[in-house]
Amino acid sequence: MSQQPVVFTRRSFLEGLNLSVGGLALGLVPTVSAEAAAPGVGAKSAPELRPNVFVHVAADGLVTIVCHRSEMGQGIRSSMPVVIADELGADMARVKVVQAVGDAVYGDQNTDGSSSIRGVFQALRRTGATARTMLVAAAAKRWKVKPEQCEARDHAVYLRGSERSLGFGELVADAVKLPVPKPEAVQLRPLSELRRVGTELPLLDGPAYVTGKAVYGADVKLPGMLIAVVARPPVVGGKVTRFDATRALAIPGVKQVLELPTPQRPYLFQGWGGVAVLAENTWAAMRGREALDITWENGPNVSYDSEKYREALLESVRAPGKPARSVGDVDKALASAARVVEAEYYAPHLSHAPMEPPVALARVEGGVCEVWAPTQHPQAARSEAAKMAGLPEDKVTVNVTLLGGGFGRKSKADFVAEAVFLAKAAGVPVRVQWTREDDIRHDYYHSASAQRLSAGLDAKGKPTAWLHRTAFPAIRSTFSEDVTGPVARDLNQGVLDLALDIPNVRAEMGEALAKVRIGWLRSVNNIFHGFAVGSFMDELAHARGVDPRDNLLEVIGPARHVSVAELGVTALPNYGAPVENHPVDAGRLRGVIERVTELSGWSERAKNGRTLGLAAHRSFLSYVGVVVSVKKDAVGKARVDEAWVVVDAGLVVNPDRVRSQMEGSVIFGMSLAMYGSITMKDGATEQSNFRDYRLVRIVDAPRAIHVDIVRSEAAPGGVGEPGVPPVAPAIVNAIFALTGTRVRELPIIRTVPV
Amino acid sequence: MASVVFLASAGGCRRQPDSEAARWESLPPVDARELRSLDMFQRIEDPAQRSRALFLETSRVYLHPRCSNCHPDGDSPYQDSGEMLHNPPVTRGPEDKGVVGMECTGCHQERNLELARVPGAPNWHLAPRSMSWVGKSPRQLCEQLKDPARNGGKTLEQLVEHNAHDKLVAWGWAPGSGRQPAPGTQARFGELVAAWVATGAQCPSEEVRP
Amino acid sequence: MSIRVRVNGVEQELDVDPEMPLLWALRDVLGLTGTKYGCGQALCGACSVHLDGQVVRACVTPIRRADGREVTTIEGLSPDGGHPLQRAWVELGVPQCGFCQSGQLMCAAALLAKKPQPTDADIDQSLAGNLCRCGTYTRIRAAVKKAAGVPDSK
Repeated sequence: MSQQPVVFTRRSFLEGLNLSVGGLALGLVPTVSAEAAAPGVGAKSAPELRPNVFVHVAADGLVTIVCHRSEMGQGIRSSMPVVIADELGADMARVKVVQAVGDAVYGDQNTDGSSSIRGVFQALRRTGATARTMLVAAAAKRWKVKPEQCEARDHAVYLRGSERSLGFGELVADAVKLPVPKPEAVQLRPLSELRRVGTELPLLDGPAYVTGKAVYGADVKLPGMLIAVVARPPVVGGKVTRFDATRALAIPGVKQVLELPTPQRPYLFQGWGGVAVLAENTWAAMRGREALDITWENGPNVSYDSEKYREALLESVRAPGKPARSVGDVDKALASAARVVEAEYYAPHLSHAPMEPPVALARVEGGVCEVWAPTQHPQAARSEAAKMAGLPEDKVTVNVTLLGGGFGRKSKADFVAEAVFLAKAAGVPVRVQWTREDDIRHDYYHSASAQRLSAGLDAKGKPTAWLHRTAFPAIRSTFSEDVTGPVARDLNQGVLDLALDIPNVRAEMGEALAKVRIGWLRSVNNIFHGFAVGSFMDELAHARGVDPRDNLLEVIGPARHVSVAELGVTALPNYGAPVENHPVDAGRLRGVIERVTELSGWSERAKNGRTLGLAAHRSFLSYVGVVVSVKKDAVGKARVDEAWVVVDAGLVVNPDRVRSQMEGSVIFGMSLAMYGSITMKDGATEQSNFRDYRLVRIVDAPRAIHVDIVRSEAAPGGVGEPGVPPVAPAIVNAIFALTGTRVRELPIIRTVPV
Repeated sequence: MASVVFLASAGGCRRQPDSEAARWESLPPVDARELRSLDMFQRIEDPAQRSRALFLETSRVYLHPRCSNCHPDGDSPYQDSGEMLHNPPVTRGPEDKGVVGMECTGCHQERNLELARVPGAPNWHLAPRSMSWVGKSPRQLCEQLKDPARNGGKTLEQLVEHNAHDKLVAWGWAPGSGRQPAPGTQARFGELVAAWVATGAQCPSEEVRP
Repeated sequence: MSIRVRVNGVEQELDVDPEMPLLWALRDVLGLTGTKYGCGQALCGACSVHLDGQVVRACVTPIRRADGREVTTIEGLSPDGGHPLQRAWVELGVPQCGFCQSGQLMCAAALLAKKPQPTDADIDQSLAGNLCRCGTYTRIRAAVKKAAGVPDSK
């Protein structure tokens, strides 16, 4: 069991049975942002060592570490503080983890792009190392020795070769008098000295999760608060032409009915508009919404029909598009090929559907605004809140609760904007509660996409040409009006960074105008690019009569760092990381393929009567190989019986959370592969709840998911997303092995019973 | 199309030698949502033939998804038009009331919930396996309904009473949330079942369909 | 209408709309926020609680049905978080985001109360109504078996 101390925070301003007592997992800081850099300030009069905003050491030895990224299931609160504590030499039993408010002083807090560890691993280490350097300097001064003779570990500084030691707390009074060294100037420990990094770490919030004490977005309550449920226009960009609130206001508990502003294009993080019913409890607000009489004007997006759009996307990839990657002469190579293998793939819109629907609480009072929200992007939430409140950002505090899942949905601050608008308009604190129907119908949807892949083979069956066309509405369309489709950097995810040992390669982009709000969803464009490439590799193997594993290794080519020139691109966005630190490493991709096929008994599959599917994918600077075993169940449906995942994410901080992310990726990938589909008719989403937006349940889950982490000291890669892309192609490849039916369209259930 | 008078036999389009189907077809057409009234059957003079026709009419209720979905052929009920298994997946359990953690009444109340769309009626449960109707022809169903071993241990009189007045059966005509109700009304269904019993509870030929 | 209900051993008298789902009575009126809203249609199981020992989905259970009865929520599953399931959940690191886990635990607890030695099929059937978007299912199975003392064959 974890030995985390229970975090008590000052919260007399909150009411509610289990919020006012201890056991609260989050240290919500009830202050304005000026104090954000000093969590817990005012609680003690003794000096505290505060070398930076991330780590503080109190005179009683308590170390406070700020987690500036949002916890949404990836275990960041159990991981990031450990990195800082290890650098510092702190004992985790004497560390308090405090959740940061939204504030630029922490740097980028946007918890997506699988960036929390990979993006700031070194910077986090420096924050801990800085505090350590100061404590060591204080001890050295006390002992009149050189700092090099001292060693920080176990929450104390030890004098080497002696019995002498001073606890961190004892050194604080001296350390605060020292100048804070520049982060770049501090010496990081060798990796071998990071004692907990890479070991089995306890789940910080585990006890809170299993006792119902963990605080999510809807669990914070303020005095006088009203709960709002909003009737939103069925079509994005639509508006209210008239409404009658008489019946809604007659429902006991309903207090106010307010109209929300209609968003203007581009939609950005604006609310969706509509009419809000504000009530004393959620039930009354829900009933009130049902009782509203509203006439909508649907606007131009009413023409959106996702089935027609599908055909348009497919048409788009049947014609040449704008090149995004080019090596050699693909046209010539295809024209002279002995054989051409071609296939088209389609994947639909998806909804994030985190178990906790969007929710936010806001109070706008006395010239300040305070928000409590399960946001992945606390600073965006702060900006939106400031806009809505009509206040400067330094008058806005965004407290980040735990997130009941995010998957990209909660990076968007629209629900925070709604709460702040309503709180200001109503003159009381307001919690906006999205229902599941709201969530499914008013999401920032994952792009629908069409792709066409062509490979030319020579007389011996060796691939000589590779042409990949892709068309999908780009995420940028949500932020800018003049977006007509993807640009080269949108193809970073699984197209530009695909290692291919083929002399003639081209990738092209087709046009696709967005008709709904497009957003990023766990692993983003890698979902459909990984699906198409992973499926096509298997098709190519069968066309060539080569084992899919051998084919994959051959097409990827030998272990090497694939240069930008070999890729045929002018630049590689590479998830914001320099290619020098994170090259496109064909060797690591080969490594996960070799390992996952070994673990799954790939070579003996025929002998053992198993039908396996394989796929591997590089994304977010990590490499993941997946094998799934698919069987037919009693009623003839194909089901995933077992899955193997090998992940090379470079250096790993928290192996158990990496394993759990991979396990979760298999389930998430199965949901989107087998069932996931959002369709629109007359501009409105046809699905509404889990009845028609189906997710994998425990009965569908594989008997076992085996995860193997490649041991590595390479710079950390992402973990939250890279497990997802190879899952769908591995499943369709296994289904092909099982049934002989090639699935080229997601969800699989449209082609094969699953 | 309002009328549902058609013939579909397992072996093709063969007509019955006794022209049972023809007699059936001679009945006045009704809307798919309605049941024929008792008096419409008076034109069939032969009581046995009338009895068969009456059963065929009631089979439109028995085999309607509102009723047959919970008389499934396996361990899980169906939903909607009868092609989809119940979602979330539920299993009948030892007493046809679900398994622990997934009992029928864990979700289904004694009446429909409009906002939540969850259908409800008193004693919501599955018909036992022996009373499976899904996939049965009207004749097979008819024979089954007369067999106490496969009809829940009921006499024909009890069957009439159950069909005419049971509250769970009644749900079939008031399923809520836009679900298509069973045709007609429970009262008329009860009258037709009673008349079928009174005319000797004859079963139609295997091939004939309503 | 006044509803008398015993919640986690404490007698409560609620003056609310009798049609108000138990979920909102627990969360909004009694402040017991461990029970979660996930779908409002009994499709996800996040709101699972015990009503006289039987699992019900609180989001579709009118509070009037609880009148004169006993409700147990995650807050009342054990006095100190020490239920064997809670311990197994933490030891095996089951939760990811944690949001669905109160519901998973309440269903698992009802299962173990009735079937102390459940099979994988028992677990799957009893927890079939509990969605987990993070995908913790394989660990849930392992943790139920660990709590039950059933060896995990995987």
